[in-house]
Amino acid sequence: MTTMDSQRSSLLPGGNPLTALQKPILVACAYFIGAEAAFLIGTLSDKIFAPFWPPNAILLCALLSAPINQWWLYLLLAFPAHVIAEVGVGMNLSQMLVAFATNCALAVAAAAAIRKWIGRPTFETLRGTGIYILIVGLLAPAVVALGGAFVPISGGENADRYWRFWAEWYASNALGGLTLSPPILIWLNHGAWSFKVHSKARLAEGIALALCLFLACNIAFAFNPGTFAEGFLPSIIYLPVPLIVLAALRFGNRGASFAVLIVTIDLIWRSLGGWSLFASNDSETTVFAIQTFLIGLSSLMLLLGASIDETRAAARRNREIEERMTFAAVSAHTGLWEYNIAENRFWTTDFCRSLFGIPAYTKVSPRTLISTVHPDDRPAATRALRVDLPAGEPAQAEFRVLTPDGATRWVHTQARVYRDERGKPLRIGGVFVDVTQRKEIELEGEERRRDLVHLTRVSILGELSGAIAHEINQPLTAILSNAQAARLMLAQNPPKVLGAIDAIEDIVREDTRASLVISRIRGLLKKGEVHFEHIRLNALITDTLKLLQSEFMSRRIKVKIELEKKLPTIHGDPIQLEQVILNVVMNAIEAMAATASNQRVLTIMTSMNRPGFVEATVKDRGRGIASEHQDRLYEPFFTTKTSGLGLGLSICTTIMKSHGGDLQIVNSPEGGASVSLTLPTSVHSPLGAVK
Amino acid sequence: MTVSQFTIFIVDDDAGVQKALSRLVEASGYACQTFGCARDFLFHHDTDIPGCLILDMSMPEIDGLQLQASLGAGGIDLPIIFVTGQSDVQKTVTAMKGGAIDFLTKPVNAPDLLDAVARAEAQDTQRRHDRDELSAVVARAALLTPRERQVMQHVVAGRLNKQIAGDLGTVEKTIKVHRGRMMAKMGVRTVAELVRITEHIGVWPNH
Repeated sequence: MTTMDSQRSSLLPGGNPLTALQKPILVACAYFIGAEAAFLIGTLSDKIFAPFWPPNAILLCALLSAPINQWWLYLLLAFPAHVIAEVGVGMNLSQMLVAFATNCALAVAAAAAIRKWIGRPTFETLRGTGIYILIVGLLAPAVVALGGAFVPISGGENADRYWRFWAEWYASNALGGLTLSPPILIWLNHGAWSFKVHSKARLAEGIALALCLFLACNIAFAFNPGTFAEGFLPSIIYLPVPLIVLAALRFGNRGASFAVLIVTIDLIWRSLGGWSLFASNDSETTVFAIQTFLIGLSSLMLLLGASIDETRAAARRNREIEERMTFAAVSAHTGLWEYNIAENRFWTTDFCRSLFGIPAYTKVSPRTLISTVHPDDRPAATRALRVDLPAGEPAQAEFRVLTPDGATRWVHTQARVYRDERGKPLRIGGVFVDVTQRKEIELEGEERRRDLVHLTRVSILGELSGAIAHEINQPLTAILSNAQAARLMLAQNPPKVLGAIDAIEDIVREDTRASLVISRIRGLLKKGEVHFEHIRLNALITDTLKLLQSEFMSRRIKVKIELEKKLPTIHGDPIQLEQVILNVVMNAIEAMAATASNQRVLTIMTSMNRPGFVEATVKDRGRGIASEHQDRLYEPFFTTKTSGLGLGLSICTTIMKSHGGDLQIVNSPEGGASVSLTLPTSVHSPLGAVK
Repeated sequence: MTVSQFTIFIVDDDAGVQKALSRLVEASGYACQTFGCARDFLFHHDTDIPGCLILDMSMPEIDGLQLQASLGAGGIDLPIIFVTGQSDVQKTVTAMKGGAIDFLTKPVNAPDLLDAVARAEAQDTQRRHDRDELSAVVARAALLTPRERQVMQHVVAGRLNKQIAGDLGTVEKTIKVHRGRMMAKMGVRTVAELVRITEHIGVWPNH
């Protein structure tokens, strides 16, 4: 990169080389002014000389604010300023050069170190401020002072006083970095020429504070032991401290650093005129006393300011997080709640109040929340809000809330317990989510499902209408013939009464038989709630097959029944299971339509193949399942029949699954398909207690 | 030939219907036997007993039509009255073509059933009578000598004695003698009677 390129790369777009020199020239001027100011102090008073060297502090600020590839420019332009200033006080060339070299070394070393470990110093974090103080207030000046102490010696001073010179050099540069640089850096951070204040009130407050501080400093530093008892001497030093702390509290790092600057300036000004608290016999000792005091004070106050800023920033971040969280929660129709166990305090977001319909004047507490819950759901809701949740397990519950305007809302809550290191519960936190929409959709979906199961059941019965008519016709035939026979018997001379009575008894029995068929059909036709009870599968199968008798006959199907004798009971809804059996058997009958009539055999078996499960198998002698259809069998609306919806198998599978069982179809080795229905026994059923 | 009472055979797989129908026919004064399936009936019924069959159309294994066909193939012409829960036109036609007396739908009305039974009884009696008569004629015809048989053939054809003598190469008087013996053996007095009883026993010569 050429010199011009490096300059342009740090320019604002469209800037020319001259603009790049603006800042370094400004810095050089400031350097000069600072140097002159320092000399001025020396000339104004024979009591003290400048406790710090402003040019170094300014140079440090400049290097910290400028990009590293421009540092050489700043140093280059500072040199003439240094020369001009030093020539004015009669320093010889070698002294000047050494002085300048050490100044630059200090600035560069400190700036480089700060850049490496902090980046751009903002004095807003404890860590950053601490490192700054360490570098600028201790390490850099201490090291560079080793060389700087040679300056007076090369000017002719006694070499024995090296360590004295070292101390003076160190203190002077450290103080500049701690009292002058921070305000400048903070000011530059907020934008060099901007001087925004939040409001006129703040501005007024700041000015008032500055004036009070000035006053306090004057009182403190002008303290003459003769006026009061000497014992008060140490405590009077603290007079400005509360005000500095106040400045730090109210204005953060800005307040702290500017307050320190004010104290510094006031102290110097006081000491110019004559007596001050730090005065001693010679100017060097006075200055050293001032320096040590100010170094200590500024370090502490900078740290205080940074610590206050850090805490405030953290608090602001927390507030922002909380705001964001609450907003997100409300958008998701979620309310947050927390119960602090030790303090017995219950906190909720505002959304909870509107979710539960609690009026504005009522306090939101667990009790008021539960009082809005539907009575049936209260136990579940209370359980979810209780303290002794097992470790780590988030408790969940869904319950209905009855709002004052009569609406019912579904609320889902999830909570977890936060414990300390010993496992003692500290607080419970959770969410309330308005799931009314989802729940309504769910309930509607279930209703649709029930409708569908019912409809397919009705359609099965439709297909069976011939068989049903037959089943009812038989008892009707018997009834009619018995009645007519009885009439004939009673019309004889003498009437055959006993025979007639027999006939009438048969009529009654046949009527019962017909009623059973009717009620069975009615049960299948009804939509009804699902009722689970203990069922003997063998009996259910034989009863269901009775409905199909005439179908078997008209299709010339031979039925082989092999039922396991001691089959354990199962737990289920008899209507739904009957539907499954009807569907499966009718599929088998249909499958054998093309089979030769003397080959049509339907086998039904029950067994206990696996412990805890009962299996019913229906085997036909049809053509079996084509391999390309194997995977699609349970798909809704898939059918190879010419008519029919193709819903039967998918609904049967749903019914089986809701009983904790399963439905499988395979091709059997003898040809034809084999459908196995598996159901858990009552003992093992996941369905719980019978209602 | 044993003389037995006219019996109604009821074949229906439904026990209740079976019992009711049997009660009805017994109350009407008939004897009856019931069978639960076609196989039972085929194995156990006595063909010598006069009677008729009340048959359920739809039964497992062997249904009504199959039983009708089996009986027909076995040469048993027991009159059949079908009863059925379903009215299937095709089945009705097959049944009637197979010679059924009637085809009734369940629930069966007693008057209709008893009417059919009466017709069945008449038909059965007639047939048995015809059969008995036929076997008697055959037995008598077996007693004829070959010559007498020849003469019978010609008489039945309407030939005069003179013509028969000419056909068989003998004299009229011989023919008259044969004729007289033949008529006596066959138990008839007039040619018309002879023609009637020989109608069904294949005496017609191949002209």
